[in-house]
Amino acid sequence: MAEDLVLDTAIRDWVLIPLSVVMVLIGILRYFVSKLMRSFQVPDHKIVKEGQVIVRARNLRAAANFIPPKSFRSRRVYFSNEENGLLFVPKGQAQNAQAQMFSDPNMAMDMMKKNLSMIIPQTLTFAWVNFFFSGFVAAKIPFPLTQRFRSMLQNGIDLSTVDVSYVSSRSWYFLNLFGLRGLFSLILGEENATDDTQRMMQMSGFGFDPSKSLSAEKDGLDIVQHEWALPKFEHRAEAVLKKLVS
Amino acid sequence: MAGHSDSSSSEKKSTEAMNDVPIFSAENMQNNMKVIYYSRTFMSIIGGVIAGILGFTGFMGFVFYFLVMAITSIGLIAKAKFLVHSYFDSWNRIILDGFMGGLMSFVLFWTFAYDIVHIF
Repeated sequence: MAEDLVLDTAIRDWVLIPLSVVMVLIGILRYFVSKLMRSFQVPDHKIVKEGQVIVRARNLRAAANFIPPKSFRSRRVYFSNEENGLLFVPKGQAQNAQAQMFSDPNMAMDMMKKNLSMIIPQTLTFAWVNFFFSGFVAAKIPFPLTQRFRSMLQNGIDLSTVDVSYVSSRSWYFLNLFGLRGLFSLILGEENATDDTQRMMQMSGFGFDPSKSLSAEKDGLDIVQHEWALPKFEHRAEAVLKKLVS
Repeated sequence: MAGHSDSSSSEKKSTEAMNDVPIFSAENMQNNMKVIYYSRTFMSIIGGVIAGILGFTGFMGFVFYFLVMAITSIGLIAKAKFLVHSYFDSWNRIILDGFMGGLMSFVLFWTFAYDIVHIF
C-alpha cells in the first residue's frame, strides 16, 4: 500500500451500511412483489402433451436396461417411427409454436412484467447511488488491481495518484449486486427472483421447447445401446445373500 | 465448524445398492446439491467476514478462500460418511460444485469487514 488513507467514520455509517441494507431490502421487496404478481395462466394442452411425451421418452432412455430387448425396441419404434411416431414432427409445423408463444398476449405480458420487475429496481438504485454518493472514496478493496480498472472503479474520484484499491461507491454498488445473490438464496429459500442469469436462461429456453427438444429426444433414443441388466441380478442377489448369511 | 453442521440438513441416499447399473433418485440428488450449495454459500460469507477481520490482503485472502472451500468439502464428505458414491454421482460434485459461486459473496463480505475494522 503506497499510502494509507484514513477515511471518515461517517462514510462507513452513512454510505456503506445504508447501501447494503437498502439493496437487501429491495431484493426482499422484489421477491414478495413478484410472488404477489404471479398470475396463473392455463397451460396450452398441446404443449403439455408434448412435454409429457418428452418425459416418457426420457424415462425410457434412462431405464432402457431393465426391460427385455424386444420390448425396448418396440417402444423405441413407437416413439421414433417415421409415419406416426410421437417424436417425429414435420419441419413446417415446428416453427409454429414459437410464433404463437410470442403473440400470445398473456405470455408476453408475463415476460414483460418479469423483465420490468428485474430492471426497474436496479436502474433506480443505480441512479440513486450515482446522484447521492459520488465524488468521494467509499471503500478500499483488500486486493490490488491493475491500472486498467481505475476508470471503472474510481469514476467519481479525479485524482490519478490514488491507489486503485480505493474505490467509489458505484463499485460498492456493483460488488453488492453480485455478492448479495448468495445471501438472498440463503434467506429467501430456493425460489427467488434475484438471479438474473437464471432468469435469462429460463426465458430463452421457453420458446424453443417444442420442436428442438423433440428431435433431440428422438436422436437420444436412437443412440441408446440396449444392454439387459437382468441376468446379472442373480449374481447380485447371490452376493448379497452370501454376505447376509456369512 | 458448529455453524457449518447446522446448515447442512440430512442428505438422502440417492443410489440403490446396485453397483453395475447405478440408478439415481433425481429428487434426492437435487436435494443433496442444494445442501452443498447452501453450505458453501454460508461458509464463504463467514470466511469473508473472518478474512476481513484478520486483515488479509491480496493473495492471502484468496488463499484463505480456497482453504475455506476445502474445509467445506472435507466437512461435507465427512457428513456423507465417506460413501460419496451413494449420495452423489461423482467426486467432482462434492468437491468442485459451487466453488465460483461463493467467490462473489466472499469478496463482498471480505471487503465489508476489512473496511469496517481496518480503514474506518
